[in-house]
Amino acid sequence: MNVVIDGKTIEAIKGETILECALRNGISIPHLCTHPALPPFGACRICIVEVEGMRGYPTSCSTPIAEGMVIHTQTEALRLLRRNILGLMMLEHPSACLVCERRELCDKYRPKSEKVGATTGCHTCNNKEVCEVRELSADLGLAEIMVAPKYHYKPVERSEPFIDRDLNLCILCGRCVRICKLHQGKSVIDFVHRSSQTHIGQAFGKNLHEAGCTFCGSCVDVCPTGTLSDRYAKWFGRPDAEIKTTCIYCDEACALTIYAVNNKAVMAKGLYDHLPVCVLGHFAIPEFLNSPNRLRTPQIRVNKVLRPVTSEETVQRCAELLKNYTGTSFAFICDTSSTLEDRHVFKKFTQEVMQSPYYFEIIPDKKGYAKVANIPEEVKAVITTGLFIPQEYRNRFEVVIALDIFPSEWTKSADVVYPVATFAETSGTVLDRNNQLRPLVKACNPPGEALPEWSVIQQIAKTISENWKEYTSVEDISRELGFDSAKLNLDRSSAPPASQNLKERREWFKGHCMENYVTGLVAVRNFEEGNPHEEKTSIKIEVNIPENPEHFTVLSRRELVPNTYEFVIYAPAIARKASPGQFVIVMVDESSERIPYSLSDWDENKGTITLVIQEKGLSSRKMISVMEGERLAHVVGPLGTAFEIKQYGTIAILGGCYGIGAVVRLSRALREKGNKVIVISEARSHYMAYYEKELTAVSDRFIQTTIDASSGEKGHAIDGLKRLLQAGEKIDLIVAVGCPFMMMITANETRDTGIKAVCALNPIMLDGTGMCGACRISVGGETKFACVDGPFFDAHQVDWDEVRDRREAYSAEEIQAISFTMPSTTIQGEHHYHQCSCMGRG
Amino acid sequence: MSSSHSELVSGLQQLFQKYPAKRSSIIPLLQEVQGHYGYISAPAVDAMADYLGVSASEIYGVASFYTQFKFTPPGKYVIQICQGTACHVRASSIILEALREELKIEPGHTTPDGLFTLERVACVGCCALAPVMAINGKVYAQMTQDKVCEVIKEYRQKEENKVGKEK
Ligand code: SF4
Ligand code: SF4
Ligand code: SF4
Ligand code: FES
Ligand code: FES
Repeated sequence: MNVVIDGKTIEAIKGETILECALRNGISIPHLCTHPALPPFGACRICIVEVEGMRGYPTSCSTPIAEGMVIHTQTEALRLLRRNILGLMMLEHPSACLVCERRELCDKYRPKSEKVGATTGCHTCNNKEVCEVRELSADLGLAEIMVAPKYHYKPVERSEPFIDRDLNLCILCGRCVRICKLHQGKSVIDFVHRSSQTHIGQAFGKNLHEAGCTFCGSCVDVCPTGTLSDRYAKWFGRPDAEIKTTCIYCDEACALTIYAVNNKAVMAKGLYDHLPVCVLGHFAIPEFLNSPNRLRTPQIRVNKVLRPVTSEETVQRCAELLKNYTGTSFAFICDTSSTLEDRHVFKKFTQEVMQSPYYFEIIPDKKGYAKVANIPEEVKAVITTGLFIPQEYRNRFEVVIALDIFPSEWTKSADVVYPVATFAETSGTVLDRNNQLRPLVKACNPPGEALPEWSVIQQIAKTISENWKEYTSVEDISRELGFDSAKLNLDRSSAPPASQNLKERREWFKGHCMENYVTGLVAVRNFEEGNPHEEKTSIKIEVNIPENPEHFTVLSRRELVPNTYEFVIYAPAIARKASPGQFVIVMVDESSERIPYSLSDWDENKGTITLVIQEKGLSSRKMISVMEGERLAHVVGPLGTAFEIKQYGTIAILGGCYGIGAVVRLSRALREKGNKVIVISEARSHYMAYYEKELTAVSDRFIQTTIDASSGEKGHAIDGLKRLLQAGEKIDLIVAVGCPFMMMITANETRDTGIKAVCALNPIMLDGTGMCGACRISVGGETKFACVDGPFFDAHQVDWDEVRDRREAYSAEEIQAISFTMPSTTIQGEHHYHQCSCMGRG
Repeated sequence: MSSSHSELVSGLQQLFQKYPAKRSSIIPLLQEVQGHYGYISAPAVDAMADYLGVSASEIYGVASFYTQFKFTPPGKYVIQICQGTACHVRASSIILEALREELKIEPGHTTPDGLFTLERVACVGCCALAPVMAINGKVYAQMTQDKVCEVIKEYRQKEENKVGKEK
């Protein structure tokens, strides 16, 4: 069957759609709601084409191709239509970043998205690096948003295990609903309510678990926007490697793709679009492997305590210990989670080197639970590769060598502990339930000095016996076993039972209960037992603030605009001493990080201070979850050098996002001193603008700018300033208070004007007294400490690249801390989950 | 589950029988349930999901698309505000606004104490008395903002007295 697409004659296949035919032939037609795993839906109309002789613009994803069709995919009319369709869709999406004129610069300056609560634009969106909407927008050349977009003010849903949902980003493409239906037979989620209220949800507002969700994660995989996200993976950005391998959590042996960043597994998905995997395969791999609790260094017992030593010493010690236990006094105990290659080496070691008949391979039960029933009495020395022997039998053994991934009572009482690689950290061959061989492919590095199990045992074997025939690689062992790597495959024809029924999931791996290492599984358990954690909502509850509140009590808390909150805190000592430009350092509770916030306002008489706080990262998330009437552990201040209030002439103060708060008092004080103050406040969109009234009241002129031109002038604050300068306004001083990007562009774009520009640097500070050096920055080649020398610096002298790098430096740890897949409230509530206050950063 | 739950389920099953267990029966079944019980409850949707072999979310999705379906039991007093032409001309929207304020609910919803349900209706058929409000069928003529609030207060008073007596 022949057709013509964009002038090219093409052989079409009967039954395929126009889109499929085009894509197959390397002709790209923009599309959005359709997905390779799903039947056509025809909802978004982005994929429209022109077909000669056909009326209107058919959607290529749902129109079957037919003999002799002459199709045009790239006419000017189509481009315009598509752009308009996307533009309409973007009216209910935080779309300002898509039409921002500085978006490329922004991407360069902040390549990673910022870890906010509610996403209000691409640069704070977890989907930023892999977004289909962004790509489409760039392709179609979307440049303006026709009318003021609508923001839905839906609270971000963070109370579900593993999955975060920010429905404010949803474009209603329906992919999630359709994949759920395909993978589960029935859709757990669906479009609910009508017209402008339509959203993705469950019947009667049930939670996902109640609605029958198995946490297969398929909806997260297909969502083209940042609406549905994997709580653990979302902030790692674009993976730098993709490895196809087999899941070894159970003997279903599902085929997976594991995504890695810097040799660290960050995300996993089923390999096949048309088949779901279970909750473990989708959500439990990265967090389990990256657990801060993993064993990292070999240890041997010296004078009753385990001490970290080199691997040579460890191997040497093993050989010495085992010397006297050849024959039936030795046993090797492993389970089927080790690869066939590993197990081949274990068995050979047991029989040839130790000359013992006692090689035990435990087959875990349905829940993955693996414990040995009976070890012969005569066994006095064991090597184990997991937590298989109940601790009460410990005293039976004179020598215990524990190869393991996590510490336990067993490893703590062992003579030697050797950390090993597992799962995606190693390669080999595994056997599925149908006795079919499957490949296990290494996707990431094991922690610390951990090694594959076979190589640890081989080293011991070599030390004990000169006759050991050395393997140089896993392939070497596979060859000996007669495995033909060419025949190994990842084919699969059915979904694993646990993907259809959550209760079928395994709970143990190598004798370890997975809930201890994968926080989302604890959440699942809580749901099953009927006590889910609910996210605190910001519904106003009546609180009685006492006449004489305790220090640091939150007297009022309100969400000014999405993701930005205003706090009024009782802190009379600070209110008495504060001056414009100063900041305070807040500790939410005894164990939390110290975070600097600019003072936005204060009232000496009432003894209160006002802070504007953006939810970004773990500490501020804790902060914004503090409700009215609750107390903060500590507020220190006022800190920093106050802005010098004197006669400057005409001052332009530029404020952006969380910086806008600090402008209020500064502007008032400068104006009272006789300056002419022009305040220019920027926001991404009209729904992100706040304090307009307050700023109008304290300035001689107030200008609002928005990136999407939905309120006031178009652009950043600097664009407002440039227009003023063009119009002949004489400015004597520029002050910029906002995020580093905003201050950086202000600095760069005013450098040539000869006007002095001052910025307020609030980068990462820790102790706030100049001792820790965390806030070090370079200004005009000199090292300064933002906490004591600042926050105000000459914007033209600041090394902006360094400011950016310092912020980036902290983000890896922050991601680790914020990414536990437990619903957010539980993280906030249980600081001791990982037994210390470091939230796993230690 | 309680006996009332099993009663509900067997009652529902009788209702369902008339319709084939197919997706296309969702709307007629919803209408049956609402006709019979006055609203669509969560257990009813679950039972329907079992019967039709679709998910509860899907049924809820369909039901919540149409304003005719209600998800809470109607209040003891159903207040209907006429939106017919005559009433509209005589500013029935102001009356509706006043009730919204007074009851703190949107049309189609029921007050949390279960006392009042607010509804918009097309025409009550007494255009001469416009604007009208009907409470459980009893028509109140030529309403004003003040008058509706008075009427609501009377009903509330009546209820309180009752509760007082029962004590
Ligand atoms: S989903 Fe996120 S990255 Fe994509 S366009 Fe929307 S805000 Fe931007
Ligand atoms: S995780 Fe799976 S079962 Fe749950 S809503 Fe998404 S697709 Fe459906
Ligand atoms: S949640 Fe994602 S996949 Fe589902 S409709 Fe919205 S944008 Fe589409
Ligand atoms: S991709 Fe074809 S209509 Fe959405
Ligand atoms: S915050 Fe530690 S030195 Fe400034």
